[in-house]
Amino acid sequence: MLKIDNLHVTVEGKEILKGLTLEIPTGEVHAVMGPNGSGKSTLAHVLSGRPGYQVTGGSVTYQGRDLLSLAPEERAREGVFLGFQYPVEIPGVNNVYLLKAAVNAARKHRGLPEVDAFEFLSVVREKMRLMRMDESMLSRGVNEGFSGGEKKRNEILQMLVLEPRLAVLDETDSGLDIDALKVVAHGVNTLRAADRSLVLVTHYQRLLDYIIPDRVHVLVQGRIVRSGDKTLALELERRGYDWLIGEAA
Amino acid sequence: MSTALLARVKDEYGALCERLPASVVGTERRRSALERLCEQGLPATREENWRYTNLRVLERARFAPALTPTEAIADLPAPLEGVARYVFVDGILCASPQVAPDAGIAVSSLRTAPTAAMRECPSVAALPEARLALLNDVFATDAAAIRVQSSAGTQRVELVFIACAAAQVGASYPRVQVTLEPGARLALVERHLSTGDVANLVNCAVQIDLAEGSQLTHYRLQQTGSRTAWFDTLEATLAKDARYELLAVSTGGLTARSSVHVRLAGSGAEVALATAALGDRLQSQDTFALTEHLAPRTRTEQTFRGIASGRARVAFNGKVVVREAARATDSRQSLRGLLAGPEAEIDLRPQLEIYTDEVRCAHGATAGMLDETMLFYLLSRGLSPEVAQRLLKWAFLEDVVSRIELPDLRRRIELEIAGQMSEGASLKELLG
Repeated sequence: MLKIDNLHVTVEGKEILKGLTLEIPTGEVHAVMGPNGSGKSTLAHVLSGRPGYQVTGGSVTYQGRDLLSLAPEERAREGVFLGFQYPVEIPGVNNVYLLKAAVNAARKHRGLPEVDAFEFLSVVREKMRLMRMDESMLSRGVNEGFSGGEKKRNEILQMLVLEPRLAVLDETDSGLDIDALKVVAHGVNTLRAADRSLVLVTHYQRLLDYIIPDRVHVLVQGRIVRSGDKTLALELERRGYDWLIGEAA
Repeated sequence: MSTALLARVKDEYGALCERLPASVVGTERRRSALERLCEQGLPATREENWRYTNLRVLERARFAPALTPTEAIADLPAPLEGVARYVFVDGILCASPQVAPDAGIAVSSLRTAPTAAMRECPSVAALPEARLALLNDVFATDAAAIRVQSSAGTQRVELVFIACAAAQVGASYPRVQVTLEPGARLALVERHLSTGDVANLVNCAVQIDLAEGSQLTHYRLQQTGSRTAWFDTLEATLAKDARYELLAVSTGGLTARSSVHVRLAGSGAEVALATAALGDRLQSQDTFALTEHLAPRTRTEQTFRGIASGRARVAFNGKVVVREAARATDSRQSLRGLLAGPEAEIDLRPQLEIYTDEVRCAHGATAGMLDETMLFYLLSRGLSPEVAQRLLKWAFLEDVVSRIELPDLRRRIELEIAGQMSEGASLKELLG
């Protein structure tokens, strides 16, 4: 699904990713863990095409195509979804407008007709129940006045409605209490599928209690320094990152 | 330049004066207005409060009004449900509602149904910003006079003004006088349109008098054509505990200038003034809004949201004056401009003059580009840059548009704004 090869990225002249190599096979869930400042969010942003991140070397191949040559909106329409660490508030743009616009943009891209408004609403309502979100949120501005937890749930709602092929969730667990974490994890788990890949970017092992990853990678100083199965996350929880920072140097 | 123009105003008035209806504005008053105009001179861009207005259009226009309006207008917007509509073409009434309005409200055309009480409406026009109202006094051909009685219950009226005549044929002078008796309530929709794409001159004057405890909600939509020069002077006086809500959406015209003067003369009077202006291509959209606090415990809320694209210039000059007697006054100003093009211009000017203690005044003005993080968020969900930008612009104006309490009207304005900003129909579909 996704193949990152020797990726170098600078932000404002400073190199953040220094030769990152990572492969996510179709149907798998991978966790990318690492200490603060290791480049986790940079990776998530580069994959989504956010401006301000300069790729100075390496390649990213998504479903056999050069992902980096696509504009952000094209990536989204091709099935790449970024769950934001800090979801943006957009007062005045109603949640349901955004969902519908997003779905229709992807459908148009695939040559499908626009979604039926009535059917669409019933799908959205069903997913909202899954995310334990109040229906009144639909008619509110995007993330407007939402609590931290509500914003994260809204990200997952968007993901559920958009049904991406590749979802990159950037610290979706941060700022969630344990009940909200379970709801979010449940939402993510319902999307696990043989034709879909998920990348969970996180500091803590906690999220991985609820979303069991197929592989865990440790990102330190812009490179993957170790990969393993889910037990690696437990080891990190126990030992911290310090022992791996030495290896990266 | 001004002298030459004034000489032309005089000549054109002289040639026409006997044909101008005295029931709308008495001959004496027309003459004195002309005299005052000659003393004060026409506005000029070298004056601080007129610097953003395109006044050159006056040089080319004919000031004298079109006296014989076009009879029927084919392409009117659909009527609003439950709102009595009156249509004025080139300032003159041409259609009234089929069903007579409620007994508690009188809506009349002073040209055909002169009302003594209405005619005596005093001319304010004391401020330099209100000089163009004098020009309306000189040439007005009709006036919509609305009076709502105390016991009438909430009334709804729509005035549609359509400019037809080309500038070389004649100008149009929409004129509105609103009087609310104590405790009366009115929702007034005032819409300005023009037919075809001819250059024309519109110079509008509105006078509002709100008695104790009365409430006026006033929706003003300026949607004239892309070659219309639209000028406007609105003066409102509020007695004790009266409330005036003015929601203005200005999208049309080549150049549009509105001068608003609200006098909070009675204690507890309140005004909420919300303006949204959209400028594109070579348009200029300029609003001067003055609120004068003359009595204790009066409140002002000024909200402005403006977007300038292309080479447009969008300006809002919001002034709040708190006089000595106006203790415990509360005033808030929130002015925001969005620059949507490298050659566009936004000019925001919040001004406060306070002559007493014990007041609460807050004001903020910001102008900037579209928020990049919001834009990226929308792109990351698959929206095209064009749709994302349009959606954000539209959202920017929502602070004003969402206050419109007539759902039918709000929806139409949203569509109008969406249409104005769109190259395609996708945003309209989104709203559907």
